[in-house]
Amino acid sequence: MGGVIGCTTTFDPGWEIDAFGGLASLCQPMEADLYGCTDPCWWPAQLADNMNTSRDWTEGKNSALRDWRELQTLFPED
Amino acid sequence: MNRCLFFLIGLLASSPVLAADYLLTGSRPNSLHMIDLAARKLVRSYPIPGPGVPGAISVAKDAKVAYVMTNHSESVVGIDLDSGRQVFRADMSTPEERVKSMFGMTVSLDGTKLYVYQIPTRMKRNEYVSLDTRIAVYNTADGVGAKPVKTFPAPRRIALLAPTANPDRVVGMGWDFYVFDAKAGKVDQTHALRNWQRKGIGEPDVLSMWHQYEQARVLSSPYYVANTDADPSSPEGFKVGILNFDLDTEKVSYAELANADTAIFSSVVNPVKRNEVFTVMNQIFRADMAQKKFVQRAELGHTYYAINISSDGKELYLGGALDKVAVYDTATLTKQGEIGMPEGADQSISSMRMIQR
Repeated sequence: MGGVIGCTTTFDPGWEIDAFGGLASLCQPMEADLYGCTDPCWWPAQLADNMNTSRDWTEGKNSALRDWRELQTLFPED
Repeated sequence: MNRCLFFLIGLLASSPVLAADYLLTGSRPNSLHMIDLAARKLVRSYPIPGPGVPGAISVAKDAKVAYVMTNHSESVVGIDLDSGRQVFRADMSTPEERVKSMFGMTVSLDGTKLYVYQIPTRMKRNEYVSLDTRIAVYNTADGVGAKPVKTFPAPRRIALLAPTANPDRVVGMGWDFYVFDAKAGKVDQTHALRNWQRKGIGEPDVLSMWHQYEQARVLSSPYYVANTDADPSSPEGFKVGILNFDLDTEKVSYAELANADTAIFSSVVNPVKRNEVFTVMNQIFRADMAQKKFVQRAELGHTYYAINISSDGKELYLGGALDKVAVYDTATLTKQGEIGMPEGADQSISSMRMIQR
């Protein structure tokens, strides 16, 4: 396992640019990866942490593809 | 005539009922689902008590109870697949100690023991203290409110647990493969991955989050690795391979298959043609482990995290991430059907497990 699991300190390319410096190996569409990353706290800078600090960020918004407009921006003081 | 009829009735009554393949997966809001694959239909949904979303799912050989990681990775819930009732629950955290588990959870094949890889943190007033990681053993018969009957130390960074043929031996996949002797409470065997020493080959990078080893009884995972004999800027400089851990023989095998030019999330071994491995992310790849290469690929409409396979090796089931399980033919890699989650809810990181009933 190359990365640390859970709320990582991983800020490598991987969300915005794929491991090969392109876009083809990003998740498609990006909403497909939205909850899969927020649930295990995979990209803590880019997404809410559903494991600890933002447990209800997706509450009632069960489809990322359909409901993404309702996801709120988070600020450190929140 | 009557004699013939009685003979036929007797024959039918004495014939074993052929078990059919069903698939278990989860989706928001904290639900477990059973899919009848022959009918291409979601036949039952089970609400999981409490908050969170379903993650890892584990089922014993008898396919009676599904154990699901939930409650923001702090609880394991057992759902009886016939009654739909919660028949087991282990809430791991206490006010003093927060205990998370990622995907490291499995029930033994005989259904008697549940193993959970735990990452505990002491929650002090002004600081968090990271405690040593461990494996907790539960008796599944202890039901709702179960407490560990035993814990023993386990190395950090274990991502997956899987059952061997022996209920007292469990495999952990982390930087290396570890086979734990739960009775003795220690690592019995270590099979090197990150610590392998291979000439011209670097340390493998593995994303192991999905439990999809029950059909061939092989824990399979893609890996990426530097080819240190090649120019790092050349296409040959980085390779993609498949590593397989046979859960019955406890043997590891691996092979680099191609230059790394695309990402792959997870893989599954064909239980009928065991040299054949299928992988998924934005494409399906068919790998031939004997020839050590990818031999076929098909583009997908969107990303899927997880892949599983029918008992006869003829169908692939892709899921995770969004809200559908897609059915593909293993021979042609063409789409055969699709089953949607209720209300279009995302499966996200939920496992996709095959059961027979």
